[in-house]
Amino acid sequence: MALPIQYNLRNVVVRWRATLSTILGIALVVSVFVLLLALARGIEASSANTGDPRNILVVRRGSQAESGSLVSREHFRTLRYFDEVARNEQAEPIISAEVVVIVSAPRIDGTGEANTLVRGVTPRGIELRPQVELIAGRWFQPGQREVVVSRRLAARFAGFEIGGTIKAGQANLIVVGHFDAKGSAFDSEAWMDADETRAIFDREMYSSLLVRPRGPEAATQLMKRIEDDKRLSLRAELEVDYYSKQTMTATPIKILAGIMGLAMSVGAVFAAMNTMYASVASRTREIGTLRVLGFSRSAILFSFLIEGALVAAIGGAIGCLMAIPMNGYSTGTIDFQSFAETVFEFRVTPPLMLQGISFAVAIGLLGSFLPALRASRLPVIAALKSL
Amino acid sequence: MTRLTFIAKNSLRNGRRALLTVSSVAVSCALLVTLLTLQRELTVPPESEAASLRIIARNKVSLAQPLPAKQLATIEKIPGVVAVTPFTFFGGNFRDETVTSFPQFAVDPARFRELLVEGKIIDGDYVEWVKDRTGCLVGADTVKRYGLKIGDRMRFTGTLYPCDLDLRISAVFQGTVDDRGLFFHHKLLDEATGDLGTVGTWYLRVASAEAANDVISRVNAAFANSSAEVRAETERAFQMGFVSMWGNVKILITSISSVVVFTLILVTVSTMSMAIRERFRELAILKALGFQRREIFSFILAESFGLACLGAGIGIGGAWSFWTFIDLQSLTRGFLPYFEVTPRIMATGATIAALLGIIASIAPSIAVGRMSVVDGLKTLD
Amino acid sequence: MAMADEPIVSIRDLYKLYRQGEIDVTALDNVSIDITRGEFVVLMGPSGSGKSTLLHIIAGVDRATRGKVLVQGINVANLTESELADWRNQNVGFVFQSFNLIPVLSAFENVELPLLLTQLNRRQRRQQAQAALELVGLSDRAHHRPDQLSGGQQQRVAIARALVTDPVLIVADEPTGNLDAKSAADVLSLLKGLTEQADKTVLMVTHDPKAASFGTRSLHLEKGEIVAG
Repeated sequence: MALPIQYNLRNVVVRWRATLSTILGIALVVSVFVLLLALARGIEASSANTGDPRNILVVRRGSQAESGSLVSREHFRTLRYFDEVARNEQAEPIISAEVVVIVSAPRIDGTGEANTLVRGVTPRGIELRPQVELIAGRWFQPGQREVVVSRRLAARFAGFEIGGTIKAGQANLIVVGHFDAKGSAFDSEAWMDADETRAIFDREMYSSLLVRPRGPEAATQLMKRIEDDKRLSLRAELEVDYYSKQTMTATPIKILAGIMGLAMSVGAVFAAMNTMYASVASRTREIGTLRVLGFSRSAILFSFLIEGALVAAIGGAIGCLMAIPMNGYSTGTIDFQSFAETVFEFRVTPPLMLQGISFAVAIGLLGSFLPALRASRLPVIAALKSL
Repeated sequence: MTRLTFIAKNSLRNGRRALLTVSSVAVSCALLVTLLTLQRELTVPPESEAASLRIIARNKVSLAQPLPAKQLATIEKIPGVVAVTPFTFFGGNFRDETVTSFPQFAVDPARFRELLVEGKIIDGDYVEWVKDRTGCLVGADTVKRYGLKIGDRMRFTGTLYPCDLDLRISAVFQGTVDDRGLFFHHKLLDEATGDLGTVGTWYLRVASAEAANDVISRVNAAFANSSAEVRAETERAFQMGFVSMWGNVKILITSISSVVVFTLILVTVSTMSMAIRERFRELAILKALGFQRREIFSFILAESFGLACLGAGIGIGGAWSFWTFIDLQSLTRGFLPYFEVTPRIMATGATIAALLGIIASIAPSIAVGRMSVVDGLKTLD
Repeated sequence: MAMADEPIVSIRDLYKLYRQGEIDVTALDNVSIDITRGEFVVLMGPSGSGKSTLLHIIAGVDRATRGKVLVQGINVANLTESELADWRNQNVGFVFQSFNLIPVLSAFENVELPLLLTQLNRRQRRQQAQAALELVGLSDRAHHRPDQLSGGQQQRVAIARALVTDPVLIVADEPTGNLDAKSAADVLSLLKGLTEQADKTVLMVTHDPKAASFGTRSLHLEKGEIVAG
């Protein structure tokens, strides 16, 4: 026969002082854990959300990122006439030769400068990225020193508001619009005309080519053809694959979350143990009485485990609640591939919260196991004698 | 028996609880020290005196934008400049590695000698390097890490430049703040890339720290309104700027550290109150025997302080020895080369633990202060 | 020094009122007594009669609502909390029903405990504690912890602890309540011996008539008043 859960609930309430500190401690541990995972989730989401499975990205063989890649105009011309490349209604090949440069710009909070990734794109390039949507102002005019920046970048850099100016050496780029890239990697970019970019930044070569093949078979063929052509020394892969490899940046955060979660939970388990042991000690007589009434050892063990799990689950839920306000909060750090600042959001998702609460329950069970075992092993007589 | 033994006996009376408390304080302190060290590692670049004598000039647009090689002639003539060399980050992957695990720079070896102020040649010959166009000067840390020696070949795949390098070790240096770097002939890079006529940055040495500001403004002014405007700053300022790119990571670590501290306080406070609550009647007896209120406070304080400090000692000492003896550089593939637990960080941890001990004794002391002897004695029957 | 015939404890018009929930309770109602040096006074009465309260007030752990409590000519009621603590240490020895030894300390250390508050050095403390333990006949158990001693032995350690500071007054609250007949007799003889040989004054609360027979004088309390002297 098991003890009713109301028994545990009442005990938790009666011993509220000790319970409260345990709950709060677990809540803090869980909120840190959930927030770190939410951050990793945000980084992953930004990479996962980037790219179209129908597109192929071409960069120089050996380069790790677009920013370190160089593609010559000859290569661009060669690829334009490959059969595998799709064509639009005007019979133009759907291929965008783009330039990626890094521009240093002042932060809006006055804490110095940070690098921004500026992408020189073509109209084809904009068509190939449907997740990028203009939300304010207008697109840049070809041949003009105009730039459209991501809404999230605009919140972080000074002069990125519409009508503002981005200084790039001698050139002044006028911000004419804001776009939203739905949390993708493009949310960390500023876009302008490709040829104008090459002129301003004195770039003979392009950084990358974004290509739309005729279909899935054509895509495989095209990638193989580029890969096999030693003269090109280019690397082609699906745009989605390219960006999912950039999720590398989420790994340190995940490791950090793991280490923090582990170390903090060790502390939390000790704290929960302490509280539960004290609870068992002060209820020795009560436990003896329960045993005399006929409750079995396992009922007592189970009951204390439930109590520990209950307290921890409450703490876990509070921890998740504490993390929720950070959902959607965007933050930025350096991307070691491009040395530009990447922006991403905390994503506190329901599965993450569930993970947080499970984590809390695990802490609770772990912390209450030994005290519960002790409670269940108390000799009935000793329990009754104890004052 | 003395008061001290009395306190010690009381602290350890519930061995399990003392152990749990000390362990949770120890784990939290170790965590805190680790976080503070991580934060320092990411945000405070290693300092060297000679760094104030060195200036880095980069393109004003960004570090990634190259500078024309012809600027050299102008910079050389600027008064106060003792030496200047091109300084270009190559960013190659060594052997079959997939990341750039240590930095390589293209420099002018003859000019670079003047800039390698702290570095001593511990193996090979600097002059040999100057003569050998495919030679390179390597830091002692890298040589040791890969088990290299003079004359060994080092192959690199370029990630930023469309060329690969095949270098031969001419000399090994040691004594700089970062003994991982590798330096090679800029001419070799120019040949490999088809002579672009550009350099990454300029690396300058000035006569004195006082002259640095003048030189900086002169360099900046010399190329103002040219097609390649320059941003010159001291090596230290350059490093700080680089570090600031971490952005919100610093805030993130700071907030986690505060949560850790807060949790730590919570755990210790609740344990302390628990320890005192279960001894209420004994404290009443002590009062009846004539112990003053302040003496009882001091017992509680000493107990809480002692447990907190014991935990801190174990945690901080453990973290120190762990991070000192573990080879984090190879574990993180060069990402965290030093991870030095400084005395300052350890002192911060110890101070927090000491404060913790004091804070944790407040609530139980108040409770005991309020208790009258008669009430305390009543709880026994 | 107080004169031999002068009372060691002198109580005049003592009242103790307290609130229990909504009701005012009179624990002591106009109590006046004198106790002289060397007396073994037994306080008897039903539970709730105020005998423990009277004991607590005389011992300086509780305060009266009104009235005078002179112990060796000092009005205990006028002392501050902190003066009272020192005063207790020097003048009063406590013996409780449930012994109340500190469980983590050995018998010897328990006896030594009150001496930590005095100016005595380590050697003097050891000597006094040793002497007190000898007096109660437990020097061979000096290094046992309370849970390794029988009830009677624990109570004798408690008496040694009460004696060790050489107080004039020893107060005992039901000292035999938790003991078997044999141990109870030992403890009572010990207390009686203290009054006869060491000239201590003992004030004991009990409701056991057998224990009361060891006293030199009995006081009966009922509803806060002394009904028989």
